[in-house]
Amino acid sequence: MVKSYFAKSLEEALEIRGRESVIPYAGGTDLMIEADDQASYLFLNKVPELKEIKADAEYIRIGAASTYAEILQSQLIPQILKDAVIEIAAPAIRNLGTAGGNICNGSAKGDSVLIFFAADAKLRLVTSKGERILPIKDFYLGRKKLALQKDELLVEILLKKTGLDHYYYKKIGARNALAISRVSFAGLLDMKDGKIINCATAFGAVSDVVIRRPDIDEMLAGKTTDEAKTVKDAYLEAFDEAIVPIRGRVSAEYRKSVCMNLLRDFLESNGI
Amino acid sequence: MINFILNGEQVSSNSNQNERLLDVLRDEFRLTGAKCGCKEGECGACSVILDGKLVNSCMVAMGSIEDSTVTTIEGYSKTRRFQILSEAYAAVSAVQCGFCIPGMMLASECILAENPNPSEEDIRRGISGNLCRCTGYNAIVEAVGTAAKEGKGLW
Ligand SMILES: Cc1cc2nc3c(=O)[nH]c(=O)nc-3n(C[C@H](O)[C@H](O)[C@H](O)COP(=O)(O)OP(=O)(O)OC[C@H]3O[C@@H](n4cnc5c(N)ncnc54)[C@H](O)[C@@H]3O)c2cc1C
Ligand code: FES
Ligand code: FES
Repeated sequence: MVKSYFAKSLEEALEIRGRESVIPYAGGTDLMIEADDQASYLFLNKVPELKEIKADAEYIRIGAASTYAEILQSQLIPQILKDAVIEIAAPAIRNLGTAGGNICNGSAKGDSVLIFFAADAKLRLVTSKGERILPIKDFYLGRKKLALQKDELLVEILLKKTGLDHYYYKKIGARNALAISRVSFAGLLDMKDGKIINCATAFGAVSDVVIRRPDIDEMLAGKTTDEAKTVKDAYLEAFDEAIVPIRGRVSAEYRKSVCMNLLRDFLESNGI
Repeated sequence: MINFILNGEQVSSNSNQNERLLDVLRDEFRLTGAKCGCKEGECGACSVILDGKLVNSCMVAMGSIEDSTVTTIEGYSKTRRFQILSEAYAAVSAVQCGFCIPGMMLASECILAENPNPSEEDIRRGISGNLCRCTGYNAIVEAVGTAAKEGKGLW
């Protein structure tokens, strides 16, 4: 007989996860679409340690099972993430769905995932024996392929406290809310003393994994906006090559031109 | 055995932990106010209030609600707040076939519980996950606005 487990603490959850072959269940909003009565779930939705949103000196730490509604309510969460979350589905789904579930679903269409990529978020992955911290970029290995070990749970998402305020975010869907993204884009531009100290861009729903190319964004680092203009063409060209959309309900050509338009608009809105 | 509070009463269910709350409410507890529209979280016909928040009961596995509080339209309909809302809905004929209305009422309750003076936009956002194929939204928005006025102090 299949057996599901209801965990009341992280310790208990990790112990079960290490011992049994279970599917972690946070909000269930992805899992219940194809509800499987033969599955062994590990219910995480009431594990207090997974629901905390707190800050330390360096990071905002988001418990993996924090719901979208909880994220929207928290004063610690940067606006860029709130902008993305408010457009996810409708209130009833936002009361269940979690940021950790969005990440561990492994889709490049995840709306909070895009922000975590742009922000170079780190993930704290824990087993009953230890833990590791992985940049989100290294967690995604391919379409629906994650570097998640069989005995591991995503416990926290770590967001740097600085550099997230000056941002650009657009979700292109068939309708506004309630629709899964067709293309989404987030860009961060962190300036200090008139110079770009960090430029970070991320493209969602385009490819198997969110496209994040720090090597290309690096071209703008250390430059004033005027200096950035001199490399703008080369920068756009590099992304033109880097963005290879997959075919889906909308054509690859459409996706590609939307990506490039959004990228250009992001630069122009910053005077580049 | 899954223990939870249903419409104010402590209950236990023998259902499988993987079953949907929606199915258990309808089949085991014979509470048929929550309707099954899509089973995909899209329509809101199955809405219930879980631990004070609106959720789609088709998206909730029984094993996740141990010790939770569930309110369905049957429980809610015994409240004064329901009466006010119901009268406001009736006054503007914000109901036709009635299929979506149980979910719509619970969504309305959650809008007002969160904000007793919601703007039109707040109301529209609050019911954005509840699809209505016949009444249309304008009458419903009006009804919630009326209830907010009539029920002053209740929310
Ligand atoms: C009607 C509807 C509309 C939607 N609209 C959007 C939208 O606009 N944008 C969007 O991005 N998504 C949308 N979604 C998808 C979904 O709501 C999100 O992906 C959500 O974040 C999933 O979170 P969850 O907690 O419900 O995940 P679950 O279903 O509980 O889990 C998803 C996956 O993650 C794994 N998992 C969960 N938590 C952990 C953990 N702590 N450690 C390890 N693995 C874990 C699970 O095993 C599963 O594989 C929508 C879904 C529905 C039903
Ligand atoms: S039946 Fe649950 S949302 Fe449609
Ligand atoms: S009253 Fe018929 S669907 Fe809303």
